[in-house]
Amino acid sequence: MRKENAVKHLKKLLAAAGLIVFATVSAQAGSVKVIANPSVKADSISVDELKSVFLEDTNSLKDGSHVEPVLEKGGATHEAFVKDYLGKNDSALQMYYRSLVFTGKGSMPKAVGSDADVVAYVAKTKGAIGYVASGTAAEGVKTLEVK
Amino acid sequence: MFRKVTILLSLCLCAGMLRAQDFKLFDRNFQIHGFASQGFVYTDQNNWLTMHTSVGSGSAQWTDMAVNISVPVTDKLRIAAQFYDRNLGQLGKWDPDLDFAYASYKFKPWLKVRGGKVKTTLGLFTETQDLDFLRVFALLPQSVYPIDLRDSTIAHEGGDVYGDIRLPNKMGAVSYTVYAGYRHDSMNSGYPYTIKNLGVNLTSYGGLQYGGDLRWQTPLKGLLIGASRLDQDTTGVGSLPKSLFAPTGNWSEHSNSAWTNQFYGQYARGKWEISSEWRREWRNEEIFSGAFAFVTDVRGSYGSVAYRATKWFGAGTYYSHYRITDEAGAFGPATTGATNDRAISARFDINRFTNIKVEGHFMAGVGLPADYPDGFYTNVNPQGFKPNTAAFVLKAGFNF
Repeated sequence: MRKENAVKHLKKLLAAAGLIVFATVSAQAGSVKVIANPSVKADSISVDELKSVFLEDTNSLKDGSHVEPVLEKGGATHEAFVKDYLGKNDSALQMYYRSLVFTGKGSMPKAVGSDADVVAYVAKTKGAIGYVASGTAAEGVKTLEVK
Repeated sequence: MFRKVTILLSLCLCAGMLRAQDFKLFDRNFQIHGFASQGFVYTDQNNWLTMHTSVGSGSAQWTDMAVNISVPVTDKLRIAAQFYDRNLGQLGKWDPDLDFAYASYKFKPWLKVRGGKVKTTLGLFTETQDLDFLRVFALLPQSVYPIDLRDSTIAHEGGDVYGDIRLPNKMGAVSYTVYAGYRHDSMNSGYPYTIKNLGVNLTSYGGLQYGGDLRWQTPLKGLLIGASRLDQDTTGVGSLPKSLFAPTGNWSEHSNSAWTNQFYGQYARGKWEISSEWRREWRNEEIFSGAFAFVTDVRGSYGSVAYRATKWFGAGTYYSHYRITDEAGAFGPATTGATNDRAISARFDINRFTNIKVEGHFMAGVGLPADYPDGFYTNVNPQGFKPNTAAFVLKAGFNF
């Protein structure tokens, strides 16, 4: 009887821990929104596609739209995006881009200083795709739903 | 020593003021990047890597640098080129080299081609072996990535077909590369330097090479495994003093069979990177137009662990094992030599572009230095070799 109770408690504990982890990850992912220049036809983007764009595996979306990534140089939004969507930390990402550059396989992507700078760059650059904190005003750009 | 280190660090910090350049030309975005590093090595016994590392306060004759330009011409077409220059003890000698220069075209993610002078895909790090700023370690494990024999595997003039294929049922992804081309060694690299001991003055060395690489990004996040194969058909030409063996004074050597097999695995997750590789290199050379055959069997392996503790600090360690066997032949009975290297390393990042590394190597054995280059050379160790070598390595570098 005692053993059954202990197992029940353990299950509840694990379920609660799982919920907390899920909620934390969701909250982090939800703290960032993905924006694009209006020239990008798509209204949504899959996580895999987003990852491919920012890791320079592709420079066009499934609908044929040309895209080029723009990053923030640092900060909480950048850290959250890199961790949640690219599965890396900032140091690993920088090393990744350098390995592309110095083997001729890719370019260093544009990086700007703040959410406002990202919005301004994306608004004026055809095909640009970036990320900002979810509360940022995003005039002149479109928000892509991440599926 | 203090003076050398101060000069070394000052040079790197000044150079760190350089910045990457982006500019538009013909409505295309060009980028210029570069890197440079300066190393210092002190050994308690035996001169290492062709430097006089055990003489006085060590050697700072270890400098390399590169400048790189690239442009995406279209979404599918990219052109990139890089010049590389180095001086490592008696090697390199500041003779600049076109490191790579190629155009790549993407038909589909699973079908891409590139042609020109291309870095050779062989194992985890051949393409990036000069880019020490990507890693914690100042020196990659020398059993598999010998810095003195860089020329023998680094690039080919020819073409690659390559691509990435995502597997169904969340089984990960595979990447493949097949290639063919020509290899041209610098006369300032390790092999020509070694056979100077025989009085041979090589004037050219290289030939056809072809091979492939297949790597699988497994469903276990961060785990990569793969295998590479490289076949080479090399010819060396030069001169040596006239003798009974060389009545004309001409040296010629040709590979009857020369191949390299490499198997590797890497687990990179969060702040950890664990890597292991095994390489076997087989060379069957005929010398003096087939008068003699010389068979060398080199096996190298290592296991490494690196941990990126913070943005400014990382540490790592590896164990590297090198074993060479010269099979019995015209030059005598079979001989074997080995080197075991236990290394420990720390990396400090001053900023995103500048880093300093401190590394210790504790090596047992020196391989077979009279027969084949392996870091220890009789040319700079005329007094003979001691069995063990401890090395202190300091390296500073920047990239932009």
